[in-house]
Amino acid sequence: MVNRNPVIAVIGAGIAGLEAARQLADLGYSPVLIEKEPAVGGHVAQWNRLFPDMTPAAEVIDALKKQTAKIRTLLGTEIASINRLKDGFSLVLTDGTSLLCQAVLFATGFQLFNAAKKEEYGYGIYDRVITNRDLEAWFNTRKDMRIKQPEAVGFVHCVGSRDLKAGNTQCSKVCCITAIKQAIEIKEEFPDAEVYCFYMDLRLFGKKYEDFYIKAQRDYGIHFIRGRVSEVGEAIDGRVVVKAEDTLNGKPVKVTLDLLVLMAGIVCNPDAQHYARQVGVSVDDDGFLKSRDNIAAITESSRPGVFFAGACTGAKTIPETLAEARSAALNIHHYFNKRK
Amino acid sequence: MIYQGKQKIWADYQKEIPDNHWFYVRSCIRQNFFPASEKYFLAICRDQLGRDIYESEHHTTCAGIAYHCDTIPQETAMTVVARQFALMTEAGYENLVTSCITSFGNYTEILETWRQFPELEEKVREHLWKACRREFKKPKYVAHASDLMYKLRGEIAERAHFQLVHRATGEPLRIVEHIGCHYSKMFPHKGVGGAEYPCVLSGMAESWGGRVIDYPERRHCCGFGFRQYFVKANRGYSLSNTHKKFESMEPYRPDAIITNCPGCPYFLDRWQYVISEMEGKTYGQNGYGIPVLTYEELAGLVLGVDPWNLGLQVHQVAVEPLLDKIGIPYDPARKYLGMDEKKIMTPGLPTSLKCF
Amino acid sequence: MGRYFDELSKDYRFKEGLKTCINCGTCTAICPAAEFYKYDPRKVVDTVQRKDDGEIEALLKSETIWYCGECMSCVTRCPRGNGPGLVIMALRNLSARLGYFTASEKGRQLWPLTKTLNNNILHTGYCIHPSTFDCDEYPESGPVTRWVMDNKEEVYGRLGANYEGKGPGVLRHIPQQDLDELQAIFDETGGTERMEAVERASREKAAELGMDFEEYTKYTYEHCSVGHFNDE
Repeated sequence: MVNRNPVIAVIGAGIAGLEAARQLADLGYSPVLIEKEPAVGGHVAQWNRLFPDMTPAAEVIDALKKQTAKIRTLLGTEIASINRLKDGFSLVLTDGTSLLCQAVLFATGFQLFNAAKKEEYGYGIYDRVITNRDLEAWFNTRKDMRIKQPEAVGFVHCVGSRDLKAGNTQCSKVCCITAIKQAIEIKEEFPDAEVYCFYMDLRLFGKKYEDFYIKAQRDYGIHFIRGRVSEVGEAIDGRVVVKAEDTLNGKPVKVTLDLLVLMAGIVCNPDAQHYARQVGVSVDDDGFLKSRDNIAAITESSRPGVFFAGACTGAKTIPETLAEARSAALNIHHYFNKRK
Repeated sequence: MIYQGKQKIWADYQKEIPDNHWFYVRSCIRQNFFPASEKYFLAICRDQLGRDIYESEHHTTCAGIAYHCDTIPQETAMTVVARQFALMTEAGYENLVTSCITSFGNYTEILETWRQFPELEEKVREHLWKACRREFKKPKYVAHASDLMYKLRGEIAERAHFQLVHRATGEPLRIVEHIGCHYSKMFPHKGVGGAEYPCVLSGMAESWGGRVIDYPERRHCCGFGFRQYFVKANRGYSLSNTHKKFESMEPYRPDAIITNCPGCPYFLDRWQYVISEMEGKTYGQNGYGIPVLTYEELAGLVLGVDPWNLGLQVHQVAVEPLLDKIGIPYDPARKYLGMDEKKIMTPGLPTSLKCF
Repeated sequence: MGRYFDELSKDYRFKEGLKTCINCGTCTAICPAAEFYKYDPRKVVDTVQRKDDGEIEALLKSETIWYCGECMSCVTRCPRGNGPGLVIMALRNLSARLGYFTASEKGRQLWPLTKTLNNNILHTGYCIHPSTFDCDEYPESGPVTRWVMDNKEEVYGRLGANYEGKGPGVLRHIPQQDLDELQAIFDETGGTERMEAVERASREKAAELGMDFEEYTKYTYEHCSVGHFNDE
């Protein structure tokens, strides 16, 4: 029997889930958005301004919300269990209801690396150490006791990325551009502050990203030190003392700062790994969900009816995520057509 | 500083430390320079707390110092250690406790290396058999003596006569804790509290009433550096690193430094003497230095052992100001006596550092 | 190409210590030696990683590899799981085996070190022992140590040691049969061979420098040229 109006469970109502749901609805299907937080928008809803054009994040989110306003959305709801059936899937949700669907789209996104795990950086121990997320939140709310007219600010690249001991050997892709963006924003806020970026490599692969680097050097005098931060300590006045090597000069350096921003990386959402196993989809050796093919079929899993969009398969930028969301919707459309 | 942040980390690095039945191996440096420390470690654990800690008279150095001075090949170092394991096995023990931190690091590194490369363990077994017809079982647990004392710190607190508190003000003493590098830098999960915020010493200090100070160079090596100290030509390295630590801790006005490595207290103590002779600078109050204690000496003091029986007279930096702060009585006339209360000649005094 | 690298690869410390280095500098950042000496553990590992025989031979003969204090602070932090301190140990051991250590001032110190420590171990069973501790060689040990060493029996006795006594205890006399076992272990595992190789290479060097061997031993132990430290 053919289902005239297939239902698709879209797990996660961040930008990937919202965009995919929009596309699926336009194609005439019935997506259901399942979101564990009390609001849609995922991580991007918490951000302030987005590279490369400094677009307000709120604009992107508001547009997506408007376009998905009529789609069935279950907020504050998680999945208690998910099972594969002969022709679809059955989900039991934490609100007690169950949902029958013909396809599942993982739009579960990422989890920000817990910076407290990099013990030597003192997050959660030293007062003046914050993360990229904390700083972005401050740009939105201007409420953070730790940020008080800093005269010297440091950005630590690769926190929880490219790091065997942190449990994530991959690059998180977007932290370098975010660090430079935030460094420029801090300079605009506190023009007299000295700002330092401590990096191993600068990965500025995207459209107009290199312009940020040029601007940071030419217009804002931001200092770039090629050396991974080894240790953070606290001086008697509460300022943080950072140790790194200036590898281009071959000398160890010690810098005292009023504020240190840790660029916490992107790791897989552990809930996603849990649900994925329940539907027979594997986790790749980088911890993210495993696509059918990493070149030709990123949005497809190895099992029929299960699809992916966005950071659940690896670190992604916003345009990449939106593109994958549309692509996944198209994959689902073809999947249903083939079954007719 | 957010203390709860550290507590969360300590919870991740809980190490299993058996309660009893230990095979004890001694430390070359501790025996030479802090001779009463090991005596009191055993006395406290055996006599006061009723534990079984066994010492074989046939055990030797683990040769860790030679290993890190690169004067012996790795297989020699491993076979000497294998012999210690054989003595332990022969005596019927499976828990090994070391007095020296380099030993602890050495035993841990060797066991980890054998785990990764079993063919090397086989080779060492052959070597040991050919050399002295001995066989061994690997220890089930290896701990450092400070781990044991950390585990027993509550029982020691119950029996304490003194608290690490300033008698006049009621304020907890400000304690700098210095952990030997070879305790947890190579294998953070083998140290209580990990490598960044180990709590083996801070746990003891806090249980006994003190307050632990964090300062920027807390994790920095004391600068022993093995060959960097033993060879006269290199000692500047050792002195420079200790000096760096003192300059960093000075603004925090510590009352005492406690250590678990046998070498570190020697360096933290003697280099203060040298700095005062060279530059006239001291780090304690009023021309005294900051007293440096081993954890056994600290435990002995809180339990009411006479400071001169504990061997505090063989430190260069005067401990009397600290004893006065805590209110521990001592008899200055008995400080430099020999055996059986015999009066012997007293040591010379430094020209700059104030000593008694 | 890679002959020295292959030799190094046989050392288990090298197997543990060299995975792949990305030159991030985390090790150098907290290295006590890098701060004071003209030393950079990152550069050492990067050089070795390149496997070039000429560069590694130069390292084996250089001052560089002898600056490390083997504190292992680098092992804690490396994001790629390397251990520059372990690589240094492998380099030092290869340099000792090949006799290259005599090419550098710091390397030549291996002879007085080997002589003192290994003889202490084989003759007393301790790495350090009061019977061989000369206060004049360690003036920084202070007046109190001189007092202890001048009054060994009294002071150690008062502190409850079993100095040179039978049975267990602090500074006990370790029985000859146990020292014989240590000697046998040294013979069996290449320890004795290493001592002989180090002595042989050092004697050759002493002759080359026109020094009497005892003079050479003292000189290598005490002499420090200008130029090792960062501000020189």
